[in-house]
Amino acid sequence: MQRIALVLLLFVVFPFQAQENRRDNPAGMLSLGGRTTVSLFNEQKNEMSGSGVGGQFRLRFSDAVNTDWFFDYITSDILNYAHRTDYHIGWSVLFYPINNHNYFHQTTQFKPKFRPYILAGHCFDYSKIEAKDGTNALDGVWYSERWSSAVQAGLGTHLELSPRFDLSLTGQYMIHLGNHIETDYDFTSGTLSFNEHKGASLAGHVLVTLSLNYKIAKLWGFSRR
Amino acid sequence: MGIQPKIIGLFLLASTLVYSQEKPWSHWSIQSSYFQPSLLRASATIAPTRFYTQQTTVAFIHGFVEYVLEPNISVRGEANIMAPNGQLVFTNEPEKFPRNYSALYAGFGYHFGKNNWKLDFHAEPGIAFAEMAQDPYSVVPIRFKWSACPSYQLKAGTSIYFSRFCHFFAEFNYGNGWIRKTPLSSLSIAQYGISAGLGFHLLTKKLN
Repeated sequence: MQRIALVLLLFVVFPFQAQENRRDNPAGMLSLGGRTTVSLFNEQKNEMSGSGVGGQFRLRFSDAVNTDWFFDYITSDILNYAHRTDYHIGWSVLFYPINNHNYFHQTTQFKPKFRPYILAGHCFDYSKIEAKDGTNALDGVWYSERWSSAVQAGLGTHLELSPRFDLSLTGQYMIHLGNHIETDYDFTSGTLSFNEHKGASLAGHVLVTLSLNYKIAKLWGFSRR
Repeated sequence: MGIQPKIIGLFLLASTLVYSQEKPWSHWSIQSSYFQPSLLRASATIAPTRFYTQQTTVAFIHGFVEYVLEPNISVRGEANIMAPNGQLVFTNEPEKFPRNYSALYAGFGYHFGKNNWKLDFHAEPGIAFAEMAQDPYSVVPIRFKWSACPSYQLKAGTSIYFSRFCHFFAEFNYGNGWIRKTPLSSLSIAQYGISAGLGFHLLTKKLN
């Protein structure tokens, strides 16, 4: 009888414990933000660093795990004979190895703090390389394009300036897995040609992203306080 | 005139002097700040802007809308449109500068300072829309080209909220980006400028 009573007591206690954890858990937090990106060490021969703009929303699944869902529009030059445009749409998982801050336990005045993370994810991308003047004397409009998939991984940190607002700086390497376009420019004749290679290539680029994010809603795990 | 009116006159004069000891701006410190969460503010002005790598100065028609989310944080959207014939100082070759240029930015601001006098910083990613001039060296004329160019803007400024509905603001703006869809080399749109004027605001929620 005592055992049954003990088990029943535990059953009664655990839900209270769970309620407490659920109330303190930042899971379900939805953020919205804008971002600007610099693209470095690009795969293309003679390609220079690029710059981009985009947006993202961030959905948190637990204390230690967050996700970014992003869109980027990046442009870069290939010397002065072509330019490249990349559209990325994808997602990343953020893991917080140091997790000592609770959004709902602001017992003292908030102080800005850093929160580092490791990130990995996947995206779909569309790339277009276009001759600088957009045309070729013989063939008219002159460009090449590709759809591909990519994976990315890197490191970053949030700078939390208020309980709901943060700046995030991320450095990551993105590897494109699809077809590969090569440009070949003859500097003597000024002729540009494109060569498309089928199959996977491990070419990619480094992306440094600065984003500004604001927590706008908690989609689950509400508390009535 | 008898002595009584003189005394009354002196008394009135003295009372006004005592009243004038209260500084005209003292009520500002008594009342709460106009700058509070839920404040919506907006303005439009002319912003002289220097494209310093192009040695060109233009006049932008500049407008913004900003909403205060927290005591220190705001979200803001703004637009810069190159005014018609707005090239004030134009020392670059005409074909190397856009004949039309507009930019849209959206981002967040951080504000600090005393009650009604705020210093603020903004970071805003955005997109510039530029229409480049015709290629002057092409035998067959190439059509004018519009392109959307990733850009960003950083701002530092100050605002003084002097009434329930109006404030003065002054800002220093820095922006950067590249127009790559050109017949010639890509064009930097690195720029700095100022914007200042009278802004309007409204508290959209009644606070307790």
